[in-house]
Amino acid sequence: MIFAIARKEFVDAWRDGRFRLGAFVMVILLATSTLLAWRQTERTTHERAAATALERENWLGQGQKNSHSAGHYGVNVFKPVAPLSLFDRGIEPFVGTTLFLEAHRQNQAAFAPAQDATAMRRFGELTGAVGLQLLAPLLIILLAFGSVAGERERGTLRQVLSLGVSPRALVFGKTIGLGAALACLFVPAFLLLFGALSSAEWVSTADVGARLGWLALVYGVYLSTVLFVSILVSTLAPSGKSALAILLAMWAAGSVIAPRLASDVVHASMPLIALADFENEMNEDLQKGLDGHDPRSKRMEEFTQRVLRENGKARVEDLPFNFRGLAMLESERLAGEVFDHHFGRLWDRIDAQDRAVTFGGALAPMIALRTVSMGLAGTDFGRHRHFAVAAENHRREFVRVLNEDVMKNASPENQAYAAGRELWEQLPVFALDDVGLERVLERARLAIWILIGWFIASGMALFWAANRMKASAA
Amino acid sequence: MKIFGYELRLLWRDRAAWILTALFAAVSIYGLTNGAGLAESLSNATVQIEDSGRKFDAQVRELLARQNLDPRQVARQPLPAVLPRAPLPALAAGQADLAPNFEMISLFRLEQQTDARSELENPSRLLSGRFDLAFVLIWLFPLFLLALAYDLLAGDRESGTLRMVLARGVAPWRWLLVRTLARGMPVLAIALAATAATAFVGDPSGALGRMGLACGVVAAYGIFWLALAALVNGFAKSAASAATAVGAAWVVIVLVIPTWLNLLVEGLHPIPSRAELVASAREASGAAERRGGEVVDSFYKDHPEWAPATKQVDFMARALAVQEEVGRALDPVRERFDTELSNQQRIVERWKYVSPAIAAFEALTDIAGTGYWRQRAFKDQVATFKDTVHAFYSPRIHQKRVLSKADISTLPRFEFAEENAAGWRMRTVWAVLGILGLAAIAITLAARRLSARALATLTS
Repeated sequence: MIFAIARKEFVDAWRDGRFRLGAFVMVILLATSTLLAWRQTERTTHERAAATALERENWLGQGQKNSHSAGHYGVNVFKPVAPLSLFDRGIEPFVGTTLFLEAHRQNQAAFAPAQDATAMRRFGELTGAVGLQLLAPLLIILLAFGSVAGERERGTLRQVLSLGVSPRALVFGKTIGLGAALACLFVPAFLLLFGALSSAEWVSTADVGARLGWLALVYGVYLSTVLFVSILVSTLAPSGKSALAILLAMWAAGSVIAPRLASDVVHASMPLIALADFENEMNEDLQKGLDGHDPRSKRMEEFTQRVLRENGKARVEDLPFNFRGLAMLESERLAGEVFDHHFGRLWDRIDAQDRAVTFGGALAPMIALRTVSMGLAGTDFGRHRHFAVAAENHRREFVRVLNEDVMKNASPENQAYAAGRELWEQLPVFALDDVGLERVLERARLAIWILIGWFIASGMALFWAANRMKASAA
Repeated sequence: MKIFGYELRLLWRDRAAWILTALFAAVSIYGLTNGAGLAESLSNATVQIEDSGRKFDAQVRELLARQNLDPRQVARQPLPAVLPRAPLPALAAGQADLAPNFEMISLFRLEQQTDARSELENPSRLLSGRFDLAFVLIWLFPLFLLALAYDLLAGDRESGTLRMVLARGVAPWRWLLVRTLARGMPVLAIALAATAATAFVGDPSGALGRMGLACGVVAAYGIFWLALAALVNGFAKSAASAATAVGAAWVVIVLVIPTWLNLLVEGLHPIPSRAELVASAREASGAAERRGGEVVDSFYKDHPEWAPATKQVDFMARALAVQEEVGRALDPVRERFDTELSNQQRIVERWKYVSPAIAAFEALTDIAGTGYWRQRAFKDQVATFKDTVHAFYSPRIHQKRVLSKADISTLPRFEFAEENAAGWRMRTVWAVLGILGLAAIAITLAARRLSARALATLTS
């Protein structure tokens, strides 16, 4: 019986002109926007690769100079584009893409693409993810608001139930039928994207397929939840009109208002440090040390004495290596601790804010979905932090090699020492070892559980409402 | 007029309408205070920078009154270029949380491709956007208007009231328009009150004119949505189909068209790659430095008047010559950035009337001073200021001339000049007219629809 109802519902859905129109418009919109995003992502990938190559040439061709000067010359690294950003751009427009690595300083990534954009950017971008997060639920609401309430208004509900059809079979048959109609729309789209991505030569991440599979699953859970809730409201509401009004109000509250409200409320209760304070505190700790007791000069003095003692010499000039190189290594180490502390604290705070916002998903599941979607697409703060940390490790390694070179080769007798291309070539090109899928899922665990919770709760509520219908409809 | 008063009385007794109106008042107040908070924190952040800049400037002037100074020493200190607080920041956050509102200008780093820094911010928050008044006005205000007015006619038809009313000889389109307007009145009044309140957050001097125009934009935008509700009412067969239609219209106008236009604009006129600019800048400076002596020689060939009396060129003069060479290499790349961004904005200007949400948003950010135009003016003025700094110090450093009392009056100092009022007024007035034009089209269609099928079909 369930399947007969499902089939009827499925056929009805596709015969419904409004659904067909809505589905058509949505497919056209998403197809064109995905194509545009595809072009953009591909172009950006090539651009960053070209810039990386050019920057490598600059580094290698910098000529003969003291290796510490080369540390000041520094090198720029560019954040690699996540291929799935063509599906979900996430925070990418709002974070820097270029990071300058130099001696003595940990910089922040600069040049967020949204800074080079018109204010229109603040309307958001129509990507596949936005389409599925915002527009697909509307299509589902349109399809499902009248599913039960409509039959009740027309009087057919009473007739059907009087034939001995169990209300549970009716509700679940409808759910399956409508779900199948929607699946006909979304599954082929995902398969198409999967095929296109796996054959594109510019896509280098190996686990793109797995990530896309997870995305399909997560969006499936979310859209099913929306379907359950829509049919639930249709079952409980007195009329189709009020079911529609309730669902549209829920949609507006959950998808339009909730994300902004959640982030503003969270930021009001756990604000981020101001840029000027961040820099002042960091500079102070660089001078005084993290514990605030010993000034930098005193630490370096102690270090000098220790090195002299260990080498059994009285003057730094008598040491068998260039002491300045060693001192710079030590001061980089001390500075590294300060950077780790301050940047760590800043990033932990951002992570904590994001987690608090994700908790808002308990009230509006779209927020939780967004978290998971960005994570899987590789366009969330987790990956950005991963990039920043990897680049910083690269910087420390590169400064270390240069300072060690100073220590070994720039002896007091050889004041005019200059290193050359051979040394520059020893330093590898920065390559980002991307966040593994496991860590992505680990990070998104809270959000995934929230989505599963919604899925189960809405399913159970629908089950309860179907059982209850028996009494009220008779 | 009678219908209007009658409708208001009906509205007064409608509990749902009260709830909606109260909700709208609540979100408006929240949006207003939230936006005002952002403006506050942004201007606090630049106070310190501006102060230190002013102090340094005063110091130099004071010293110069007494003694000569070495321009190389003075030029070392970076000068802050600060964008002052926007004229009406509580109205719309716009790009204010994203675009930098100050830049440090330093003679020896004019060509450095460093980021002009903006305040630390969680990127997810930038993605979500602020819950500011502009969000309430552009996104939520129409929703509330539509919720109050979407099913006037369909509801009346379903309940049978329509037949009785029309039997009294009231023109159906007038009946509908007046009722729609009355239904929208409380929410419209709250929106206007919230907009008016923005002028009194902070310093109201000079903000009143802007606030007045902002009210014009909000009123026109509200009227457009009410007209749309009336139009849908004319066509819809049932309350449910009316709800579907107004919901779809809202989604298309506020969500789909703007986001799609955004994508299209960036696809048609992609901004050149920042990554490439950064790498090319380094390439150019590397090349210039390697050719060091040669660059200096050719530089003095171009600028014989700047050549030092003694042939000896010091390190700083050479650095300046190299910098100028780099600038020449980068100018075309930078120009491409500017051109593409202007092209993008031009498309937005041309197509903004496709969706009144875009036209109204652009107008509100423009009035608030947080939109494209003021940011653009700031960028341009910073670029000009860099030229000024260069033109002031470079010849003096090359010729090893000292700074003296006579230079006090021309010492470079950044002062942001607001755009002259005619510019934004023109743009905003056009936006208001455009939105009203769209509203007029909707009203005409609704009126024609209702008069044509008035008695025959509506009541059957």
